Amino acid sequence: MDRLLILCKKILPVAAISFFLIKTSLAQSISKISGKTVRYDLYVKDTTVNFTGKEKRAIAVNGQIPMPTLTFTEGDTAEIYVHNELNEETSLHWHGLFLPNQYDGVPNLTQMPIKAHTTHLYRFPIIQHGTHWYHSHTALQEQIGMYGSMILLKKEEPALPTIPIILSEWTDYKPENVHRMLHNASDYFAIKKGTTQSYSEAIRQGHFKTKITNEWKRMTAMDVSDVYYNNFLINGKSESSAPQFKAGDQVRLRISNGGASTYFWLTYAGGKMTVIANDGNDVVPVDVDRLIVAVSETYDVIIRIPNDSAAYEFLATSEDRTKSASLYLGSGIRQLANPLPKLKYFEGMKMMNGMMKMNGDLDDMGMQMSLNQMDMNVVMYPEITGEAKKKSTEMKGMKTNTGQEQYNSNKMSDIVTLNYAMLQSTTSTTLPKAAPVKELRFELTGNMNRYVWSLNNKVVSETDKILIKKGEIIRLILYNGSMMRHPMHLHGHDFRVLNGQGDFAPLKNIIDIMPMETDSLEFAATESGDWFFHCHILYHMMSGMGRVFSYENSPANPEIPNPKLAQRKLFADDRKFHFMAENDFANNGNDGMFMIQNTRWSMGTEWRLGYHAMHGYETETHIGRYFGKMQWLMAFVGFDWRKREIKMGETEKNLFGQINTKDNRSLFSIGIDYTLPMLVKFQTEIFTNGNIRMQLMREDIPISKRLRMSFMVNTDKEYMAGIKYVATKNISLSTHYDSDMGWGAGVTLNY
Amino acid sequence: MKSIQKIVLMLIFTSTVATLVYAAPIKNQTTIAVKIYGNCDQCKAAIENAGKLKNISKLDWNKDSKIAMIIYDAKKITKDAILKKIALAGYDSDIFLAPDAAYNKLSACCKYERVNKPLVKETAASTGKDIFSTASNTANDLQAVFDAYFLLKDALVKTDGSMASEKAKDLQMAIDAVNMDKLSMDVHMVWMKILNALKEDATHINGTKDIELQRNHFITLSKNIYTLIKVSKPAETVYYQHCPMANDGKGADWLSKENAVKNPYYGAAMLTCGKIVETIK
Repeated sequence: MDRLLILCKKILPVAAISFFLIKTSLAQSISKISGKTVRYDLYVKDTTVNFTGKEKRAIAVNGQIPMPTLTFTEGDTAEIYVHNELNEETSLHWHGLFLPNQYDGVPNLTQMPIKAHTTHLYRFPIIQHGTHWYHSHTALQEQIGMYGSMILLKKEEPALPTIPIILSEWTDYKPENVHRMLHNASDYFAIKKGTTQSYSEAIRQGHFKTKITNEWKRMTAMDVSDVYYNNFLINGKSESSAPQFKAGDQVRLRISNGGASTYFWLTYAGGKMTVIANDGNDVVPVDVDRLIVAVSETYDVIIRIPNDSAAYEFLATSEDRTKSASLYLGSGIRQLANPLPKLKYFEGMKMMNGMMKMNGDLDDMGMQMSLNQMDMNVVMYPEITGEAKKKSTEMKGMKTNTGQEQYNSNKMSDIVTLNYAMLQSTTSTTLPKAAPVKELRFELTGNMNRYVWSLNNKVVSETDKILIKKGEIIRLILYNGSMMRHPMHLHGHDFRVLNGQGDFAPLKNIIDIMPMETDSLEFAATESGDWFFHCHILYHMMSGMGRVFSYENSPANPEIPNPKLAQRKLFADDRKFHFMAENDFANNGNDGMFMIQNTRWSMGTEWRLGYHAMHGYETETHIGRYFGKMQWLMAFVGFDWRKREIKMGETEKNLFGQINTKDNRSLFSIGIDYTLPMLVKFQTEIFTNGNIRMQLMREDIPISKRLRMSFMVNTDKEYMAGIKYVATKNISLSTHYDSDMGWGAGVTLNY
Repeated sequence: MKSIQKIVLMLIFTSTVATLVYAAPIKNQTTIAVKIYGNCDQCKAAIENAGKLKNISKLDWNKDSKIAMIIYDAKKITKDAILKKIALAGYDSDIFLAPDAAYNKLSACCKYERVNKPLVKETAASTGKDIFSTASNTANDLQAVFDAYFLLKDALVKTDGSMASEKAKDLQMAIDAVNMDKLSMDVHMVWMKILNALKEDATHINGTKDIELQRNHFITLSKNIYTLIKVSKPAETVYYQHCPMANDGKGADWLSKENAVKNPYYGAAMLTCGKIVETIK
């Protein structure tokens, strides 16, 4: 009897492992016995999902979201058949894997897209181990389900219960619409998140001056992420449990962030977590209370089950802290993890004000920031810097931390937060000393107002491929001069992060760079072909934030029969135009506009249509190009058409004494738009009849969470002021006074 | 004609009833009785507020029976989701345990007994079976005393009276466990001199949850630990720090393993008030 018990005890953990890795063990045993070729068949198909009570379109592979976990052992050959049953193109990229260029899965770069209703084979040897993942690299498919874990086992993997975890997010909006709204600077996501940071909120929290300074420096509301999501998911679920563990068990979580644009904070109710690997590479174990996983990063983390009678919450919270996903480990009453408190946005705004120079450059005030060690965002974290202060309770004569210390989260609190300087490789990672070094510097650039993201202020389609030679060492020095953090990913290679660990610098293929940080990376150029290097925030990548590293004298890629066509299609991603339109149906007339715009160009038409000839009809069309990093300047050519009946003998003069022929005119013009401090648009336009018009305009002044004010005044002695209430994503109620048409009130529809 | 009138009347009546039913705040009503742990009227308000969602859920908690009647819209929210919100406010149920931080924030009258919270067993880490453990063991007898002191200090930094009381108990045990014979002569002398004072302060801090009383005792405790650590030479660098405002403006000192100032006499209210007066190596 005793013996039987012991046997049972031995089997139990094994059963626990196999529960999660049925496929693994199967695949493993097959690969060990047979010819070590592991085949997966992936059927990519349209599906509908219901995360929020509404049925929405998504893409499932083999009927599931996330895609199935693929498991291989080092030394295997992977054979993955992708059956595209969609009515559109697709592709799969094996994130973090070393493989022949033609199987890397970037459509129009390393292969042509997998056409609808065709099958494509990816076949490559598995020459590494670690936690990786895979996802669609086509358009925005990754947002709606095309992500999955990819586990590459060591030949001798320590026996430890393991759970593959893929983090992701869900939005009920179509991703194409999300992308369009971002490019049109819609603040609807901010309304949904409660982060409008309007003037009334600023005044209530004693931050009126902060808000004014912010707008003076031409910034809109600040946030740590761009998109409002309905749900955050661990393995496709907001809440799930893994009850099979017992007190004292150590469980290895193989975590990949498959979110399209969300960074996740990870915390655990059962004590510290031990980080043992990052981006598939082992690191010297380090105990932390929490870590943030950048978009597309992977971490292996050991957690411990403290007790048999409780289940402990593993909590993944989105960086903006709007929502979270939970996994309960163990069985019994659920011990919750401490939730992350809401961000103090106005503190963040104040911090940004201090960093922002008037010309749009960032000023690090002499702090040399790198490797996430100093996190400017700690000013917004109540758990580190205390709850938001009430007005006038600030104590005088108190010594506060200044300089760099005030952003060092680990120095300011007992909470140990992982940063890249704490990662140390378990093995030496030095590169050949004799190899020639090619140093490349990139500034991560972009602006939020027009949602343009780039490297050195150029998007993919505006640059040539960067040529590198096999045998070189490529050193990348990346500086983030933009206001958002960016997870930069290199395909097909691991780079060393020069983080002060000397020969034991950790190997990674993703590095998160916060604003004003500079990081140095180096990798040995050992491959051939074209490898993408890009920001892994899906909407940034699709806006062109990347480059292609191309090995000189590479053999032609058999998957790219027509390189010119492929390049044109690749470039089409960031050349895409985004459409927006708006019309105010008011009792005194229609006011509206539509616009299409891309990285540099904008084409727009505005109209004011009265209901009778006395009010007049007018349209203005501008075709313009934006200049500069911050894109405050746009030069344009225009066409004006107006018709109006005025009482006999009445003429209009502008401020310069020039007579207007407003009643019936068709004129061409040239002019410029310039964004002034306080986000006021200053427009100067010269018409073909010699008339000049100057105009000041400000739209969308956030009065309260949903109330927006606007005004316009120009040298034709026209003026307008209005206020609108944003009711839904596409509908607002508005009222305005217009010098031509008088008072009006109505409904504004926008797309 | 009369029949038409009747029909109209009936229509009006049914529509009124329908609107009344429709206008009832919570649709798809489900009612359940759940145990939620708490003590007083203050808990009642907090529990009911945490579980309340406009037009979706409301509850009535009885402080004697600890039973909450929860009425909720089963199509909009689950029982677990409501209990989770209540647990996040600091109140255990039979399904969720509140995070320790949330429980610790409750006011004294609400610090109910956590009957559902299991005691943490010896884990692999503490038994040394943990293959990934990064914790190291120290041999120094006095080290246990210093470690206990630092943990007590951390509890005071957090303004956590009950944790400070617990840590003071650990300190008492560490003091009792010190084998005097193994101490070197000069350390032994100091130890003999301060032993009774150390014990007294530790006992007092353990005996109360009043943070102010604890902090008063911590002033003398810190002084004595300082003389001890000076003579015994710590294993790692220790910082002697001073806050001029503590002790009613007379100033008070403490020891810390970090050079960053985290004030145990005021906690979050003035976390970084103070300066390093001596670095002991």
